[in-house]
Amino acid sequence: MLNRSHYWLIIALAIPAFIWLVPTIWMVSLSFQPNDVLARTTSTTALGLVPIPFTADNYAALFAFGQTPTWFLNSVIVALGMTLGVLAVSTTAGYALARLEFPFKSTLSVLCLIGLMVPEQAVFIPLYTMFADLGWHNSYQALILPRMAVPIGVFLMLSFFKAIPKDIEEAARLDGVGWLQIFWYVMLPLARPAMMTLAILTFLYAWNDYLWPLVSTQKPQFFTITLGLASIQSNFAQSEGLGRVMASGVIASLPVVLLFLIFQRYVVQAMTAGGSKG
Amino acid sequence: MIPFLAVYTVFLLYPFFQGIWISLHDWNLLAVAFNPDAKEFVGIRNYERVIWGRNITWGIGASPLVQASGLLGVVLSLFLGSTGRLSRTTAWALGITSLLLLVLPGFHPSEGGRWYDRRFWPTVGNTLVFVGLTVPTVTITALILAAALNRQTRSMAAMRTLFFLSQVLSVTVVTLIWQIMFSPRQGLIANITNLFGGSPIVWLTDERFAMAAIVITTVWWSLGIVMILFLAGLQDISRDLYEAGALDNATGLKAFWFITLPNLKRTITLVIVLQIILHFQVFGQAHLMTNGGPNDTTQVLVRYIYQTAFRDSELGRASVMAVFLFVTMGGFSILQFVLGREGD
Repeated sequence: MLNRSHYWLIIALAIPAFIWLVPTIWMVSLSFQPNDVLARTTSTTALGLVPIPFTADNYAALFAFGQTPTWFLNSVIVALGMTLGVLAVSTTAGYALARLEFPFKSTLSVLCLIGLMVPEQAVFIPLYTMFADLGWHNSYQALILPRMAVPIGVFLMLSFFKAIPKDIEEAARLDGVGWLQIFWYVMLPLARPAMMTLAILTFLYAWNDYLWPLVSTQKPQFFTITLGLASIQSNFAQSEGLGRVMASGVIASLPVVLLFLIFQRYVVQAMTAGGSKG
Repeated sequence: MIPFLAVYTVFLLYPFFQGIWISLHDWNLLAVAFNPDAKEFVGIRNYERVIWGRNITWGIGASPLVQASGLLGVVLSLFLGSTGRLSRTTAWALGITSLLLLVLPGFHPSEGGRWYDRRFWPTVGNTLVFVGLTVPTVTITALILAAALNRQTRSMAAMRTLFFLSQVLSVTVVTLIWQIMFSPRQGLIANITNLFGGSPIVWLTDERFAMAAIVITTVWWSLGIVMILFLAGLQDISRDLYEAGALDNATGLKAFWFITLPNLKRTITLVIVLQIILHFQVFGQAHLMTNGGPNDTTQVLVRYIYQTAFRDSELGRASVMAVFLFVTMGGFSILQFVLGREGD
């Protein structure tokens, strides 16, 4: 395979790949340049793509004052909470639909299938009034709970559990083990890859979600980092300086980028399964 | 099962029906918050106020360009469907969509009439323009990249990673980067045009370029997933086909045209439908980069719903638009489902 035309192809593709990367490089580069320089020009060295003059002040300032650390922590709490919640409800429901017999089973699975068609944007108004009635806006539960109702995870787990051979369970059942124990000690460990995929899908979604946090959260101390970033980007020039806003952007992207680079295979699987809902 | 059913019922099913219920009321967000009885049942009047107007008539020439393309689509789907060039489902879908394009834009207010909501249909139009520009651009670019990157070497894998990387960023990071990229004073694009002595374009506040800027941003953001879906589809095409093709002198571009494309047809259709569903719900890019402006040229449906509900406090009318969104998306979801089943 490694012939001459292959090398030409690599070179031909490296150019668009580099162009594709430029905006990201630019964000990182700007975040390492002093604000007073950026106020004059953004193209000091190599169109601003190389951070010279260099400074780490923007990051220091970010952690010294400003609300970015709080927002970051909120995002971690919401994303982890949502991931655990989705895993809990999806694995149990997926297992029940795949293996247990109970009344109205087919009706229920059709009902869940319909839920796949309801876009978030079609329900956010009633969700808003509902959480307002409960007095739950500006809270972690308001940010976490609605997403747990999305049935994509159930179908992901359902198809995985269906593919596991029944013999394994039968053997356990002959030994007199109840279905709860089978679920916990036999099925869940087997389902680890699928759970991993679902966990990453949910985490990415939670971290990057914008519309629902925007609607539900008005108090800055409950902003997620995604929402907080939106709130500072409209008036960056006056208030904090371009470099600091870009530093916030880098901080906001770091977890998902690391997640992607470490678990690339799962992330790709997850986003393919989720139909690019991230 | 029980825990999921509980959250599912409370946070998805109930809100869904509650949404329809709200759409049948004159429901002011603030008034109802203070006094739960301040809503009034008005039946379908909200629907009338959003999608209809005074003295509405129908004519073939109302928007010639859209209607002509609709007509073309109907003829094309009839022709391609009957000769078997397209699968039955695809032909039906194309036919119905084109028929809607032919019929719906024909409605227009006649002399002395007007839409009750002047902004609703232009907003739907903008959303369609956005989808119509983004989906083909992403699809074609991603297809070419996927075909080129479909080799199992390390450098190719590295480049796949590069192209996919922007996909995991959140919408606010993406808009942050591109807002500055497009800035006429500080932006990288302006810096490059300055280098060549050109005068910078004021991308985000110029009616001619604002939509283009949002489309470029979205293409950059969402290309990765489409490329990956195509790569997955390419993996399923048997090597034997290419070897057989090579015997008939079909290599390179020829092989792409006669072997890759026909075998990828189902994946391509599915990916297009998926993207239409995704991009019809565009919100963040328009909300953060242009505020729907200039002069409403980038106002999109979800942003209009958001504004009607939370700035104007008119939950009833906003819910009508949400129902409209659901019905449109529902149509495409059913299509996606049928297409997905067809291949199994």
